[in-house]
Amino acid sequence: MKKRVKLSKRLTAVFTFVILTVMALSFVYPLIYMFLNSLKTKTEYFQNPFSLPGAFRLENYQIMFEKFNLLRNFLNTFFMAFVSITVIMALSVFASYAFSKLRFKGSGIVYIAVICTMFIPAQVTMIPMYYMFSKFNLVNTYTGVIISYIAAGLPGTILLLTANFKGIPGEVIEAARIDGAGYFGIIRHVVVPMGMPAIAINIVLSFVAQCNELFTPMILLQDTEKQTVIVALSALMSQTKGAGDPAFQMAGMLLAVIPPLIIYLIFQKYLTNGLTAGAIK
Amino acid sequence: MNVSKNIRRKVRPAARVARQNNLQGWLSVLPVLLVIAAVRGYPLLVGFQKSFTNWDGMTRSDFVGLQNYIRVLSDLEFWKLLSNNAIFMLFIPIQLVIGITVSVLFYEKTAGWKFFRSVFYLPQMISSVIVGYLFAVFFSFRGPINTILSSLGLEALTRDWLGQRASALMIIMVCLVWVNIGWQAMLGLGGLASVDPGIFEAAKIDGAGYFQRLFFITIPMLGRTIEYSCIMSVIWVLSGLFPYIFSMTKGGPGYDTTTIDYMVYLKSFGTSSEMGYASALAFILLLIIMLLTIGQMKLSNRANDWGE
Repeated sequence: MKKRVKLSKRLTAVFTFVILTVMALSFVYPLIYMFLNSLKTKTEYFQNPFSLPGAFRLENYQIMFEKFNLLRNFLNTFFMAFVSITVIMALSVFASYAFSKLRFKGSGIVYIAVICTMFIPAQVTMIPMYYMFSKFNLVNTYTGVIISYIAAGLPGTILLLTANFKGIPGEVIEAARIDGAGYFGIIRHVVVPMGMPAIAINIVLSFVAQCNELFTPMILLQDTEKQTVIVALSALMSQTKGAGDPAFQMAGMLLAVIPPLIIYLIFQKYLTNGLTAGAIK
Repeated sequence: MNVSKNIRRKVRPAARVARQNNLQGWLSVLPVLLVIAAVRGYPLLVGFQKSFTNWDGMTRSDFVGLQNYIRVLSDLEFWKLLSNNAIFMLFIPIQLVIGITVSVLFYEKTAGWKFFRSVFYLPQMISSVIVGYLFAVFFSFRGPINTILSSLGLEALTRDWLGQRASALMIIMVCLVWVNIGWQAMLGLGGLASVDPGIFEAAKIDGAGYFQRLFFITIPMLGRTIEYSCIMSVIWVLSGLFPYIFSMTKGGPGYDTTTIDYMVYLKSFGTSSEMGYASALAFILLLIIMLLTIGQMKLSNRANDWGE
């Protein structure tokens, strides 16, 4: 009797492991598929998309960088992400400190108003924003995209940082104040160091989100040499739809996936722990 | 003299602290407020005003009253878009069941759970556009899925998956579930981590079986998590599907897989530039999001009362 229970328990464990492995494969296989097929020629791809490539051919990548100039698009993406995330973090640290630690008059309602803007879809404000930007000559510029990234990124960052800064003990801040630290001193020596894990997670998440964003940069950037990787790639995919060369497209798609993926692999431990710990506040 | 001044500074009177906090607080949030007011708030107001005009993005912008709203609501297309959005929402229960099951497995530290946890979150790191194109490639007429089917002798099942409404809607839903399992599992794990493990021990001692514990402890404990992911997922289905639709079907065939947010794009920057009409549609979308979110919050508060 007992043996049978043990056996069925074992079987369930094996069964769950197999199911989870199959699911995991479905998440990893597309990456492998992209890699293997990016090394093929178009004819090779259409003969059998599952076969191993006949030779280690980097031609597709070469075209991506030389003719299609994808490196430029990568630099655009990183530049806009760097500037906007720097500004988002700087503004959010001050605002979140105020929301979490200075009980100023009206802070509750202002906080809710800021967070609510997170739920206004980009499509709702894009049309007027586009014409507002065109009045200031910001359409088709990095500045325009950076500004809209900042506005879109602020509420989420403030939400997470405020929740995190609430955990900083008031005594620590009071002690710093008695030691003579002013407003900026407290932020520099107490809030930023103690909130660093949350700030780091936020930087990583914002970077990934901006690398992967389509709608805003697609509407605002028309010149290929100003576009982000995702926008340039999706333009390429739309042009060649039907008559496209999947092998060539796979090379571009894999390249676009790599930066967020590397970031994820580096920060994976902090991210998963942070997400499970701070997902709900 | 100097000493007494120092002491006075250290023991700050409450009124002065409050005044100082007010000043510092408002100055700290002022830059954020200015940015959001200029880049989100002002366009929101302009968009609302323009939704009552026949604005074409150029010079024409005459007041036409409620005409845009009447046109949207009397258009048969709108109800198709709405039904597409409603159909896509069916992915939420599937995502919840699979995601919560996975998170329970992770919580029980099933073999290899740490590895699975990081792999399951991978789709969240890949751009939705790339995910969409991958699905489009896999399910294209000459794509891998059809190749497998015909090599298995199931040629009858091969089709242009994204070329017909029913199968296209299904593939997009599969894609949404695939993308979100990791997200849901992570949320579920977060919810479970906040449950006191003593409760499970007590239930075990009292003789509750595995499934009893699952249905009477674990799932009720995840009430808040389930609530949160329902609300977020509904908002996401209404406003976040743009990159998936754009990369997989472009809303087609016809408007068969077009969602409201994609239609706003088509009418403004896509196929035509009826900015007034698109603005009206965008505000109807915003209204739907607000109503559904508030409705869910009301409903879930009541549900929680029942639970207690």
